[in-house]
Amino acid sequence: MYITDINLGQYIPSDSFIHRLDPRAKLFSLLFIISSIFPSKTVLSVFLWTLILCLIIYVSKISWKIVLISSKPVYFLVIFTFIFNIAASLFKSPDLRNAVYGALFMSSRLLILMMFAVMLPLTTAPLELADGLDALLRPLERFRFPSHECAMMIGMALRFIPLLMHETDKIMRAQLSRGARLDQGNIFQRIKAFFPVLIPLLVMIFRRAEEVAVAMEARGYDGSKGRTRRRPLLWKKRDTLVLVFSFLTVMTFFMLGL
Amino acid sequence: MNAKTTKTNNSIPLIGVRSVSFSYGAKNTGRALNRVSFFINRGERVAILGHNGSGKSTLVKIMGGICEPSEGVCEINGQDINNLSFRELRRTIGLVFQDPENQIVAAMVEDDVAFAPENQGLPPDQIQIRVDIALAETDMLHKKGASVSALSGGEKQRLALAGVLAADVECLILDEPTAMLDPEGRLKTEKVLRYLHSEGMTIIQVTHQIETESFSDIDKIIVLSKGEVKWQGLTEDFWDISESLGFEMPDEMRLKRYFNLKGLKFPDDFANINIPERVFKTPRKSGSLKYNIEGLYFSHDSKNKVLQGIDAEIYSGEWLSVIGRTGSGKTTLIQHLNALYKIQQGKIYFDGSELPQKGEEVHTLRQKTGLVFQHPEDQLFSPTVKDELSFAPKNAGFDGAELEEAVMYGLECSGLGSEFLKRNPLSLSGGERRLVAIASVLSAKPECIVLDEPLAGLDASYQHIILSMLGRLRDEGKTVITVTHDLKTALKYSDRILILRNGRKIQEGTPDEVIGELMKSIEPEAWPEVLRISSEIKKINPDFPFIYDYEEFLKCISQI
Repeated sequence: MYITDINLGQYIPSDSFIHRLDPRAKLFSLLFIISSIFPSKTVLSVFLWTLILCLIIYVSKISWKIVLISSKPVYFLVIFTFIFNIAASLFKSPDLRNAVYGALFMSSRLLILMMFAVMLPLTTAPLELADGLDALLRPLERFRFPSHECAMMIGMALRFIPLLMHETDKIMRAQLSRGARLDQGNIFQRIKAFFPVLIPLLVMIFRRAEEVAVAMEARGYDGSKGRTRRRPLLWKKRDTLVLVFSFLTVMTFFMLGL
Repeated sequence: MNAKTTKTNNSIPLIGVRSVSFSYGAKNTGRALNRVSFFINRGERVAILGHNGSGKSTLVKIMGGICEPSEGVCEINGQDINNLSFRELRRTIGLVFQDPENQIVAAMVEDDVAFAPENQGLPPDQIQIRVDIALAETDMLHKKGASVSALSGGEKQRLALAGVLAADVECLILDEPTAMLDPEGRLKTEKVLRYLHSEGMTIIQVTHQIETESFSDIDKIIVLSKGEVKWQGLTEDFWDISESLGFEMPDEMRLKRYFNLKGLKFPDDFANINIPERVFKTPRKSGSLKYNIEGLYFSHDSKNKVLQGIDAEIYSGEWLSVIGRTGSGKTTLIQHLNALYKIQQGKIYFDGSELPQKGEEVHTLRQKTGLVFQHPEDQLFSPTVKDELSFAPKNAGFDGAELEEAVMYGLECSGLGSEFLKRNPLSLSGGERRLVAIASVLSAKPECIVLDEPLAGLDASYQHIILSMLGRLRDEGKTVITVTHDLKTALKYSDRILILRNGRKIQEGTPDEVIGELMKSIEPEAWPEVLRISSEIKKINPDFPFIYDYEEFLKCISQI
């Protein structure tokens, strides 16, 4: 009933090949992989990508359980896709078997795709991820796109997600204690019943945001101007290898029409 | 790290506050600060004392260059703070705030400490050196590779401190740095501050509470009241007039001064004294059995066992304190009492029948047993105090005149006047908000009220208000259950105490019955000061009892 998986999608520190990769290499590879899975039409391709995913999870030394738990939000999307697809194809032709088969393919493809994406924050420290994004978005600065601010924002969001979940859980419990009926009634009653949770949460977020801003200023933060990094992103040979390898894999899949 | 070559003459004070005034907004009637002046020299440790709303947080922001004074100047090394460059200012003054969560920007410990030196544009190897030193100074090296969400509250505050130290500042300004921590976290933070001071760091600490451990190290005290400096001087001169300034002297200090006055040597002169017959606190005539807990187990998963077979009895008309360290299972236990946690194993009987776990009966239960969470003021959501107080009774089915009466009952319990009903809870002071939050649970007229750390972060006057409110409720025949780290209050006010450790019940009984066990479960630094003194005496005089209350101690030694 309440939020218990506080560590949803959080970075799991470990010393693995995947962890050590440059975030840019991981981001680019992920882009390649997604662009290959997304349009794939064959069961074989989904199967092969599943094998590759398993290999990556194995190499990353992250337990299967954590990966499965961290993918929780994905499941709802996958189930929704499954049901929606069955409904959509039944609408076109009343062949149930075909519909189930099609929906199964679509939803498992989505599941694999999303799980590749889940592996990124699990194996990359938020700040590194932010740095990687910053570097990738940097060319857009020419068009006045605030790449540093965007990356900083994403890094901070990742830092505060567990805290916000924790606070939401606490406020929900407190309002339930005062007799709030959060899980009863029709959709409108439920939305209305959620205000006692939403309002304190918003007040808290704004207060925290203000205090965080003051604390950052006090620690000398003045945007990206003159800022250096403790661990500057270092592109190594292995990063090039991984990038080339994932590019070649994707190309092979494409050539073979998988 | 602090052995910095100072560019400026040492005779110039590090911080000079000259006739500084500040007001929030033009229409505001009162000034947050009014002509405040003082000087702080290099290497000094200074406490700025003030109750809630005295303007001390504003003063921190002005000295830290976050706010500009409306009048007067704040000088750093003799220079107007406004004329300092952003970088120079940030390398001189470091700010640490009350809530560590709001000061940590990165998800990993090392990344966070690196934030300030990164902002200063240092090369990577030097950043790493700064990070290592700062973590060592705050005794956090063992958490170097950890993620922030895995730290305890005390560790987070020391991390925040490390994050500021890594900027290589000359002066630390701390705004209530220990107010949100448990005794263990408080002690460790205090130890770090004392170490830094001994290394020559200038430390300014803003606080509303006097604690013996920190005050032995403090050179100078500035008392702030309603935005004005009421008193400033050396720490040893402070105690003679502390009471008149509205600050209670810590018990240890009071007793030691009393010993001095009487010419008693502590503890030698107590070796052979006759101890009068002690009158034990008589257990209250308890009412009917309210809660009967049998073998309660709870775990999040197979590794994480929170409660491991708790048995307890709780009566109506009694005040029970649940005591244990952070992580002992206190909070989980009390959330079982109104079915926020479902029973996994074991039984709980409420008024003789099994505790409901679902359906409409749970709502009835939650009306009968009110639960006040830690920092309940963060859960207020209504536009007016009246609406806030109506929420719980409305949910419990109160209506019309009955509802009006319930709201007035809640308000009456809190001691707030009816003029508060129309006000917006967010416009109230911290202490008033806490009272409204407690009243918003009491307005459902519960038979049983459970509070998690109800006094945390409040100054003495609000603590007294809440303690006497709870005493009255108990005398009305209600069951009062408090969860607390504060042993002094628990021993003094509650009728019975339940000690938890690692999810198990260690003992349950009157304060005098459990005192021995309590001393085993809790580290001496967190004992009430009077208890610490009496246990010192007991070492040389085995007949001497364990006394935790100041008045009782005086009675006991009155014969000498």
